[in-house]
Amino acid sequence: MNAETHDFKLQRAGPQVVVAMPAEIDIGNADQVRRALLSAMEPQVTVLIVDMSRTTFCDSAGVQAVIAAYRQAATTGTQLRLVATEVLRIFTVIGTDQLIPVYPTMEAAQAEMS
Amino acid sequence: MTVDASRAELEERLRDIQSITDADLSRLGPQDLLSELLERGRDILQADTAAVLLLDYSSGQLVATAAAGLEEEVRQGVRIPLGRGFAGRIAAEQKPVILDHVDHTTVLNPILWAKGIRALVGVPLIAGGRVIGVLHVGSLTPREFTSDDVELLQLAAGRAATAVQSLIMREDRIAAAALQRSLLPFALPASDAGQLAARYVPGEGAVGGDWYDGFTLPSGQLCVVIGDVTGSGLPAAVIMGRMRSALRAYALESADPGEVLAKLDAKMQHFEPGAVATVAYAVFDPGMDRVRICLAGHYPPVVAVPGRPAELADVALGLLIGAAPGAQRPVTTLELAPGTLLCFYTDGLIERRDQAIDDGLARLCQAVSAQPPDAACAAVMAALVGRQPARDDIALLIVRRSPQEAA
Repeated sequence: MNAETHDFKLQRAGPQVVVAMPAEIDIGNADQVRRALLSAMEPQVTVLIVDMSRTTFCDSAGVQAVIAAYRQAATTGTQLRLVATEVLRIFTVIGTDQLIPVYPTMEAAQAEMS
Repeated sequence: MTVDASRAELEERLRDIQSITDADLSRLGPQDLLSELLERGRDILQADTAAVLLLDYSSGQLVATAAAGLEEEVRQGVRIPLGRGFAGRIAAEQKPVILDHVDHTTVLNPILWAKGIRALVGVPLIAGGRVIGVLHVGSLTPREFTSDDVELLQLAAGRAATAVQSLIMREDRIAAAALQRSLLPFALPASDAGQLAARYVPGEGAVGGDWYDGFTLPSGQLCVVIGDVTGSGLPAAVIMGRMRSALRAYALESADPGEVLAKLDAKMQHFEPGAVATVAYAVFDPGMDRVRICLAGHYPPVVAVPGRPAELADVALGLLIGAAPGAQRPVTTLELAPGTLLCFYTDGLIERRDQAIDDGLARLCQAVSAQPPDAACAAVMAALVGRQPARDDIALLIVRRSPQEAA
């Protein structure tokens, strides 16, 4: 019923860190998502890219996890970026595109200067 | 006592514990269940006192909930911070603790040493991998509790913890459902100028934080609200209740929906940090010919004008409540021709795991037509829900300006 647990792959490129998100995010794994994002924000990380390019479903619990990461990022000065295609709609409706820049591809997200 | 005798005695005591099945436990009410747990704890260790403290997640404190031979602990409302004192350490470290000396240096709660307790043993109550409380047993005569004692107490605590947890969850579910029911309006306002109808269906798992509201202001304006607090169960329902009251209070102070949601957002960020919610708030002029809408992270309503296919209303999107301070709160004004209908909904209605949100929105637009609100609600629920059980909460609120002939 609920989304399955996910093995979070962290990919580091200098001060940029990419966290790959699961295909589905809901109450079943949102807490895991939140912890993965918060723990990825180590002091030397200036840009955290949340890779939702393979995510096809994200409910409000998933949104809350991303917002928690945004709040933490705002206090530590980390820049949060989102890569989203299929779940882009939900992030537009909730208006977080005003807070967190959203990119259509990983290349676009990584190319942006911090 | 020989080694064999003590072994046999241990086994017998274990059988006693296991003779109480989970089915027995599940039939007990919360107080009886805790009493049973205390009696068992005292009996198997042949001790004098027993107490259960349950963890209150919102305050992070252990609260004395039941006691035997130590009733004053409950009556005086003892609270122990997590990590401090005897019980606080057991809960924080999730490990049993044995105390051979009980005084102010080892125990935070003065009731325990004032009572004359000489030795204590306590174990965490763990259910679903989380600490839900502490069970401790005390002796009024000097005694050294052994590791066998700890093991027996842990066995007793283990079975009871699961039962206590499911009881708490059941009570929370009932409380959340009751709270939810009490917060949905008993009767929606209606006038010659416009009518409302609504549906609310709780999700399959737990009641969530969806709500809707409809009320009139002293000016004669009609206000409608629909919202969704992230999370589920009692915590979400409690936050939902606070949001609903706050929004009503701000609505009395300002006719500008953007200002009302800005105040609600500021209030939430200060008093409920970490909570997020989506809200759509609409204020209709008394004649229902005009509506001003402010969206905070919520899907736009579907608008149906008589004789035309329904479509998603062109309303400015705004940031959801609780995300960041000082968000812009854009307000969109729509002119409503007679007979025009607006359909507000929560995401449970349109989100399906196996299809894109746009498909859900398209199906909703197809199902909505400018007809009397109650019939419109029925048509939408039939088309989008049908016989499927709702996974998530679904709230639906439809408002229609009366057709010309009824005015």
